[in-house]
Amino acid sequence: MANPSPLAFNRELSWLEFNQRVLDEALNRSLPPLERLKFLAITASNLDEFFMVRVGGLQQLLQGRTARDAAGLTPREQLTRISDRVHAMTLSQRACLREIENELETHHVRRLTGDQLSPAQTHHVQHVFTHEIFPLLTPMAASAPAPFPPIPGLTLCLLIRLSPKASSRKNRYVILALPRSISRTVNLEAEKGSAYLLVEDAVGLHLGPCFPGERILETATFRITRNADLAVREDLAGDLLSEMRQVLTRRRESACVRLELSADASGDCRDFLKRALDIDETDIYSMAPPLALSSFLNLGPAAGNPTLRAPSWEPRLSPLAPPGDSMFSLLSRQDLLLHHPYESFEPVQRLVQQAADDPDVLAIKQILYRTSPNSPVVAALARAAERGKQVTAIVELKARFDEARNINWADELENAGVQVIYGIKGLKTHAKLCMIIRRETTGIRRYLHIGTGNYNETTARLYTDVSLMTCAEDLAADAALFFNTITGYSQPVKYRKIEAAPIGLRDRLLELIEGETARASQGQKARIMAKLNSLVDPKLIDALYAASCAGVQVDLNVRGICCLRPGVPDLSERISVISIVDHFLEHSRILYFLHGGEPQVFISSADWMPRNLDRRIELLVPVEDEACRSRLIAILETCLADTAKGRRLQSDGTYRPVPPSGAKPGHRSQQWLYEEACEKEKAARGQPAVFQPHRPALTP
Amino acid sequence: MESPTPNALPRDSALPPGRPRQVAVIDIGARAIRLDISEITPDGGMRLLESVQQAVSLGRNTFGAGSIDRESIEECVAILKGFRQVMSEYGITDPAQIRAVATSSVREAANREAFLDRIYIATGINVDVLEDAEVEHLIHVAIHSLFETIPTLNSGEVLIVEVGGGATRLLLIQDGYVTYSGTYKLGALRMQETLETSLTPYDRLCAVLDQHIQKTINQMKDTVPTRTVPRLIALAGDMETAMRRLLPGWEANDTVRLNMARSTLAERIVSTPPEKLMQKHHLPPQEAETAGQALLIYDRIARAFKVKEMLVSAQSMRRGLLMKMAGISVTHTRYAEQLAHSASALGRKYHFDEKHGVHVADLSLKLFRALRSEHGLGPHAEILLRTAAILHDIGAFVSNNSHHKHSMYLILNSELFGLTRKDNTMVALLARYHRRSVPRLTHPEYAALDRDSRVAVAKLAAILRVADAMDRSHLQHIRDIECSREDRRFVVTVPDVEDVTLERLAIKEKGSLFESIFGLQVILRTAQNLKGSSYDG
Repeated sequence: MANPSPLAFNRELSWLEFNQRVLDEALNRSLPPLERLKFLAITASNLDEFFMVRVGGLQQLLQGRTARDAAGLTPREQLTRISDRVHAMTLSQRACLREIENELETHHVRRLTGDQLSPAQTHHVQHVFTHEIFPLLTPMAASAPAPFPPIPGLTLCLLIRLSPKASSRKNRYVILALPRSISRTVNLEAEKGSAYLLVEDAVGLHLGPCFPGERILETATFRITRNADLAVREDLAGDLLSEMRQVLTRRRESACVRLELSADASGDCRDFLKRALDIDETDIYSMAPPLALSSFLNLGPAAGNPTLRAPSWEPRLSPLAPPGDSMFSLLSRQDLLLHHPYESFEPVQRLVQQAADDPDVLAIKQILYRTSPNSPVVAALARAAERGKQVTAIVELKARFDEARNINWADELENAGVQVIYGIKGLKTHAKLCMIIRRETTGIRRYLHIGTGNYNETTARLYTDVSLMTCAEDLAADAALFFNTITGYSQPVKYRKIEAAPIGLRDRLLELIEGETARASQGQKARIMAKLNSLVDPKLIDALYAASCAGVQVDLNVRGICCLRPGVPDLSERISVISIVDHFLEHSRILYFLHGGEPQVFISSADWMPRNLDRRIELLVPVEDEACRSRLIAILETCLADTAKGRRLQSDGTYRPVPPSGAKPGHRSQQWLYEEACEKEKAARGQPAVFQPHRPALTP
Repeated sequence: MESPTPNALPRDSALPPGRPRQVAVIDIGARAIRLDISEITPDGGMRLLESVQQAVSLGRNTFGAGSIDRESIEECVAILKGFRQVMSEYGITDPAQIRAVATSSVREAANREAFLDRIYIATGINVDVLEDAEVEHLIHVAIHSLFETIPTLNSGEVLIVEVGGGATRLLLIQDGYVTYSGTYKLGALRMQETLETSLTPYDRLCAVLDQHIQKTINQMKDTVPTRTVPRLIALAGDMETAMRRLLPGWEANDTVRLNMARSTLAERIVSTPPEKLMQKHHLPPQEAETAGQALLIYDRIARAFKVKEMLVSAQSMRRGLLMKMAGISVTHTRYAEQLAHSASALGRKYHFDEKHGVHVADLSLKLFRALRSEHGLGPHAEILLRTAAILHDIGAFVSNNSHHKHSMYLILNSELFGLTRKDNTMVALLARYHRRSVPRLTHPEYAALDRDSRVAVAKLAAILRVADAMDRSHLQHIRDIECSREDRRFVVTVPDVEDVTLERLAIKEKGSLFESIFGLQVILRTAQNLKGSSYDG
């Protein structure tokens, strides 16, 4: 990743480096094969999103100004480099898949091709095709005089070349899109172990009857990616909801930014698609089949064999929130910090569920962004509204790619009597916050859940996130104000403790960084630790450079994109950046500033990207409870010390493993954190927190 | 559209014991509508739960065009509907929990009744339009805590200034008592609307504004009874967000001190385009547009009175409203003391017999308290009685003939700090009815009162007459009294006075109102009578 600018890395190329680190895990032979396959599938779906949003956006920029980015690259230069990098990555993905498949085969999990099927298997495939697949297929004529049919993005398609009609010499093409609802594999019984056939191969076997009287010359698989980054001009449309519905359909028709094509396709097929889709040569990715590796995430037949998977790390119960306890009485005694998914998300759900059923609760306010379908949180909100509580849900419709799902519960909640608000125009509501207003004998008390992750039970088992639950007065007052601001009841005014993007968050971060810089310049000890997903914002990067120059030790744990260039003399020599890619997706945002020995610790929903700081509603929340703060510092230190899965960003933009110190085996932070959660849970079980006096049973 | 007792303290302050109650205060101002949701604990403690604000253009309408246009009315309705939602989240739905007030931008609007009706119909919120005197009083209540936390403020002179969108209010406090209060039609927004400064280039703006401000400053110098004041407290009022963002070091609560000598902040902000203030300091738009003007007015007043030290405080009228809703007793006592102080100051102006006035006030209060179960009036009535008692004879300054009538119109035409216009009328009527004619509906000021107030005037006048009679000699013979009821008689026992003939005569002459109102005959008894009571029959 050579770079012309000395000051920063290009964010797209940095992102590709992140995807490479995920791919490295897929290539890691010490992992069980299905764990590797999971990482491989993630790299593929990551790339899909990357093309839809980033590459699509860059291609649009080609038509406009050719401004250079922070790294000094024009959009065209960026696109060229992306294309080079992705072509190489695609090759690597194929090699990786072959390796994994070979390993699976030694465990008797085989992918078969059509000609490898036994008669019994052939019969089964025939049955599945006829009953489950064929009814869903719609062949579409694609060559003139028919117009080129609309093809959904990210859907695997078969391009079928038929022989010319008698009177003509022109090839005829038919496109068969395999709807995403069809399972990617047809699972087969095998003599030993299990076997499966890919759906495109199953379809290929039975194409003949679909085209009676025709001769099929060739079948090739392909897949297109469309530009999703349509500028949704909110100021033009009155009704945001209908606008989003419009975008959902528009997205299908938008420009093709990538064509993936199986390498065995003939030149005729390639030329046909290239012309029909109006796509540049550099945007065509020819690859050995199978395509669409993202759907390998759930490889059916092998699912039953646990030895092929990484041991699952089931969330543990925090001993601080014993099951069944009232969250209200618990939180009125102490603040609670949970680290997911090491610790279960259950107490968070319990808080909302108990709020729905508690007669003293007056109101619940909650931001919903990427919630899982059938979410118990959503159900609890509906129930609370039905019971006459004031319930407000801020439903963020612009959660990327989740729009269709979001619109559904919005309707359901509204029917239940929840006041549903669709975010602020022009700003995506990314903060994660829930506030419960409860009337107690001593007065109003407001309970908060502040998170770095979404209210999504599924991702809460896969993403590392932090939850802070508290009823601290200042934070509660700020939360109330924050909700009133985003629900449009109030103008933004100054908060007591928190900061919120887009108004004051970056300024506050700059203040905090500059505070450390000033202390370091005066000879005091100064230190910054931060755990983020992405670091892109030029102002913050400059502030960190200045801090480094002043003598501040800056330790960053940035999982994904990092445009900051560390370790450059007289610029960033005191900044170190490590990235962790492991079993769980690193997702929490935790910040630490030494602040002259009285550390200030924050959790935040915001990554340090212009997008988050300028166009999103994000939160920065100080954690002042001593126990919670120490816990967060410990988490930061554990992550920064990772020598097993940690990769250190070099000043040339590459990432290298962090060598373990001494002869000790590598310190794997996620494992360490998980084991810690297990031990805590075990210790709590062994020693009941409350001793129950034995009382003789009362006779009735 | 005044509520029956806009300024009333909670009647007979006994709050239901037990849980804290949630209340809301809404202030409809020239630039913004603000809502404070608070909690009042049974012991009178207050806790601010939420503050909400939304920009409106009422001031722009009223100060510019003289009335509030349709669009602005609907804007207010929409905002207040939102506020209702926020209030309901705290279980605040009962009108008794909500106090909504408006000031000059509504009071001066030609269509204020239509505005208030529309708000009431659409939101169920009943908005009281406050008089200047009420606002001044509320500010005084609000800054009470400031005087507690900074005890040095209680000696010497302090000028309290609040620059609002439509008006500037001054309170001069001398040794802890308000000795002057006044409201001037100089407001940050009003100034902008009248001068149409939106077209003035920024480099000339300061000079244009200065000229305008100076006129009012001269007026202030004529009316404020002092030439210099060492300390000034600037209340941020509806510019709070702006002030918090513009004044360095003003964190969370309380106050920030400004060094007046070298400050050029006002000039700098005046010459900064609002867009820049919004962008750089994140000011709400309506505050960005007038922050400079407001700061300039504060600055110029401070310079005019040679202020050495300026304190900026976040306390506002809303806090005063809340404290009154809480019925905090310390507020009540302080209010009573303040009013007695103002009344005495007024009395001295008319060379009244201070000893007599104060003494009759004392006796009145003793009777008032002894008769609590008969009259059923609250602490606010008590304060009115005390004020009237102090002032009942000031008419003698004009002429002894019909001096009660002179007392009435002197009071009617005086400003007593902390009294609303209606309070003032009641006090004046009480002074009138301390002798001669009993209250009659043929007396126009009396007839103009609502029924409750008329009844209160009659009851209080009856008490005042008896108290006055007990100091007929003007020599304060009768000091300690003990009251009791015997059958249909109200017995006032005077332990340390032997001869009460004069007073008995006076009571006979003036006690008939008491008897007809309370159904009790007033009997004055000395200690001798008491001893002899065994054979008295």
